[in-house]
Amino acid sequence: MILNFDLSKEELAALSLEEREEVLYAVPYDCDRSGNFVKNAFTVVTNKRLVLLQNAVKEREYLLAEYEAIKAEPRINCGVLYGVKDGQDYLMVRYSSKHLARYAYVARGIALLKSGSTERAVSEENEKTCFVCGRALPGTKECPHCNGKYKGVLQQLFALLASYKKQMVPIVIFMLLTAGVTLLGPEVQKHLLDDVLYKETSDYPLAALLLLAMFLVGIAGAAINIGKSYCCSKLGSLIARDLRSKLYRKIQMLSLSYINEKRPGALMNRLMHDTGRIRSFMADIFCNLFTVCIMFVAVVLYMLVLNWKLAVIAFLFVPIAAVVSMLWRKNIHRRFRLQGKKSDNVHSALQDVISGMNVVKGYGKEKEESEKFNLYSDVFANVQKRNEVFWAMFFPLLNFLMGVGVYLVIFSGGREVLGETMTVGELMQFVNYTSMLYMYLGWLNNLPRHLMDLVTSTERINDIMTQEPKIKNTEKACKPEITGAIEFKNASFGYHSYEPVVEGINLTVKPGEMIGLVGASGTGKSTLINLIMHLYDVDGGELMVDGVNIKDIDIDYYHSKIGVVLQETFLFSGTVFNNIRYAKPDATEEEVIMAAKMANAHDFITRMPDGYNTYVGEKGSRLSGGERQRIAIARAILNNPKILILDEATASLDTESEYLIQTALERLTSGKTTFAIAHRLSTLKNADRLVVIDKHRIAEMGSHDELMAKKGIYYGLVMAQLEMQAKKEEAGA
Amino acid sequence: MREERNEEFSLEQMEQETEAMLRLRYLTPENAAFARTEGGFVSLKTEEEEYSRVQVVRMFPFSEPGKYISIRTAEETSKEIGVIEQLERFPEDVREMLSEQLALRYFTPVITKIYQIKDAYGFAYFDVETDRGRCRFVIRMNGNSVVHLSDTRIIISDIDENRFEIPDVTKLTIREQKKLDLFL
Repeated sequence: MILNFDLSKEELAALSLEEREEVLYAVPYDCDRSGNFVKNAFTVVTNKRLVLLQNAVKEREYLLAEYEAIKAEPRINCGVLYGVKDGQDYLMVRYSSKHLARYAYVARGIALLKSGSTERAVSEENEKTCFVCGRALPGTKECPHCNGKYKGVLQQLFALLASYKKQMVPIVIFMLLTAGVTLLGPEVQKHLLDDVLYKETSDYPLAALLLLAMFLVGIAGAAINIGKSYCCSKLGSLIARDLRSKLYRKIQMLSLSYINEKRPGALMNRLMHDTGRIRSFMADIFCNLFTVCIMFVAVVLYMLVLNWKLAVIAFLFVPIAAVVSMLWRKNIHRRFRLQGKKSDNVHSALQDVISGMNVVKGYGKEKEESEKFNLYSDVFANVQKRNEVFWAMFFPLLNFLMGVGVYLVIFSGGREVLGETMTVGELMQFVNYTSMLYMYLGWLNNLPRHLMDLVTSTERINDIMTQEPKIKNTEKACKPEITGAIEFKNASFGYHSYEPVVEGINLTVKPGEMIGLVGASGTGKSTLINLIMHLYDVDGGELMVDGVNIKDIDIDYYHSKIGVVLQETFLFSGTVFNNIRYAKPDATEEEVIMAAKMANAHDFITRMPDGYNTYVGEKGSRLSGGERQRIAIARAILNNPKILILDEATASLDTESEYLIQTALERLTSGKTTFAIAHRLSTLKNADRLVVIDKHRIAEMGSHDELMAKKGIYYGLVMAQLEMQAKKEEAGA
Repeated sequence: MREERNEEFSLEQMEQETEAMLRLRYLTPENAAFARTEGGFVSLKTEEEEYSRVQVVRMFPFSEPGKYISIRTAEETSKEIGVIEQLERFPEDVREMLSEQLALRYFTPVITKIYQIKDAYGFAYFDVETDRGRCRFVIRMNGNSVVHLSDTRIIISDIDENRFEIPDVTKLTIREQKKLDLFL
């Protein structure tokens, strides 16, 4: 996202920059305070001022030094930027949703500036529309139209095909053969007409020969087409498969921050939908693409050679036919999309009512609902009827129009035949070529849309492929002995650069120590854990593991030293045995059994009919929450990690399984550096130290007793939980 | 003054707060004194308390824009101070300043004229006249870009999450309606 738009000379002049004043951010605003659209308006932030420009005239200016803070506040489909001065809020500028995120970054940038940092706010988010052509971007960084890639559709296609040269050879041969065979058909026909049918003497052997030739040409055409389709489909599937696996590998390599920035469906979509689109392009369009192009040119040339006058007459209608078929396609496309939309309405109305049937019945609204449904259904039926009528009426007309060229050829050619300057066979051949020409024309008309689809898909795939993973092994990546000593040095981090989640974290953890992380939700506990797991890099400060900066430790090696037990345990579909072995695939049966015993999981596993070979179902759905949890603990024990992370590991469990898990966890955590998050504070009683996080910072730190004596935040939390507990018991009694 | 709420959790306090949330308290010209702030916002003085800045929020932004207006504290987790049942009951100067605040909060231009709608590759490009001036915007063709609030009233959301309202589709000319057809 652009935070520093280019200002014109006049605009820069209007700023009247002082000495040593430079423009840091310049972003547009598109509406005024009363909500009217404005154009050519910018909010400019320099290292001293915030200036509003409109049409290169200074509207307002604010001295940054006068304000304690400048904040961006989202409103309903718009937002405002305001400054705080002496506890009073001062409205500065207003903008529509279009610039909401932009101003959030700018506000963060101003905060950085005011804190004395030289760092600038940068946004990795993509723009939604192209500033050059105004087109919506299909989720990519650059506009496929404007960066010249659109023009290079064929180039992209060739780049895509470059590594499949071997598979391309038979396809090209088939394409040339198709062209040859198709052109040959009318030629043979001509001989049949001229040399056999219109001859006074009957030449049976020649007739039989020509008929046989026609038959063979037909058979050959079919066979070649089958071969071509087969090769193209195979190549399409192959390309799609390769792209899918490349994409999948890339997505796994990319850091969580990239994946979290995307909408959940977006990556899935690219993986399946976009590669699928490329496959269907290869199978349906590509296989005919060159054939049609070759044929088109060949037919035109052949016609010119045969009889150039007649050929020109045949071409006369090409532009008209092209326009007519384009208009027709547009209209039909529109009509059927409308029909599709109305049918969607019927579907969703139906789904609405059926899934909410108990509510409908409960409130006795059956009649109203059925009336509503009838209405949608009627509208759909009407649209459908209209479309069918339209189709029936205009399709023959279109065919006629497309065929006018053929009639013209027959007319002028017929006169030549009568004038005996042309034979009947030649005329027939010519008519055949003319209709072929118009057929290919219709096909070529459709091509731009298919090509655009292809470009959009490849563009979206390339968008991921060109991403550099943010967390990757540096050149000096090493594999130090890890004992579990962890040190945060003034660390800060935010998922978006404009919104820090943890700030100024200083914490030294000795090997084997158990740390309980306490705080309200959204304060940054899980974020700290994500940092320790090295799923993200700290934005500021350092995170050291055994005296080595975490960025310099080999990522795979480091991850093999960490164990994780989360609230929602993720089991992969497969057997219990494989799930326990997940982190250590070469573990023996005995090791797995020992780990399961340590995790209090052995008993329930052996009680199941299939024992360790029990299939756990997708995401482990066949097991209870407590059972899944114990399998996860066994998995962690087997891995024997040096650093252990427990994120609400004992939440939402019944008392018995909680006890079993608690004891299993005690075995697991002994001697390992452990970070535990729990809302229920009683589960953290074993922790050596508790760290209370509040307002993105470490607020309190110490043992349970120390913090209780301090009567701070922790004390308040404990008291509140005790009170709640007492209240529940009271209510229960 | 922006008050720092005591972060310490207290059950009693929470019970009081939930209790307070149940009350529907009406603000009238008699019990509420609104005033413009220097910074372009509005402050409120009630019998019990003074607020240096309040939020003015519609409960029924589409169906009853001038009725049931919630006056809330300024912070992110805002609490309701009171409700204005009808804006009309307030004297003109107050009405004006509250309307200003409403205009500052909501941004849903009303489409009055459609010049062109062009669709290409999954997006539709609108060129329209609104009550806030001429505007071009882009919507996604799939999904729920166009929502029907009633049979004739539609809300269009563009890819930037701006919203546009057409209060009565039937009031557009036939030509314009035809352009919109695909979305109705």
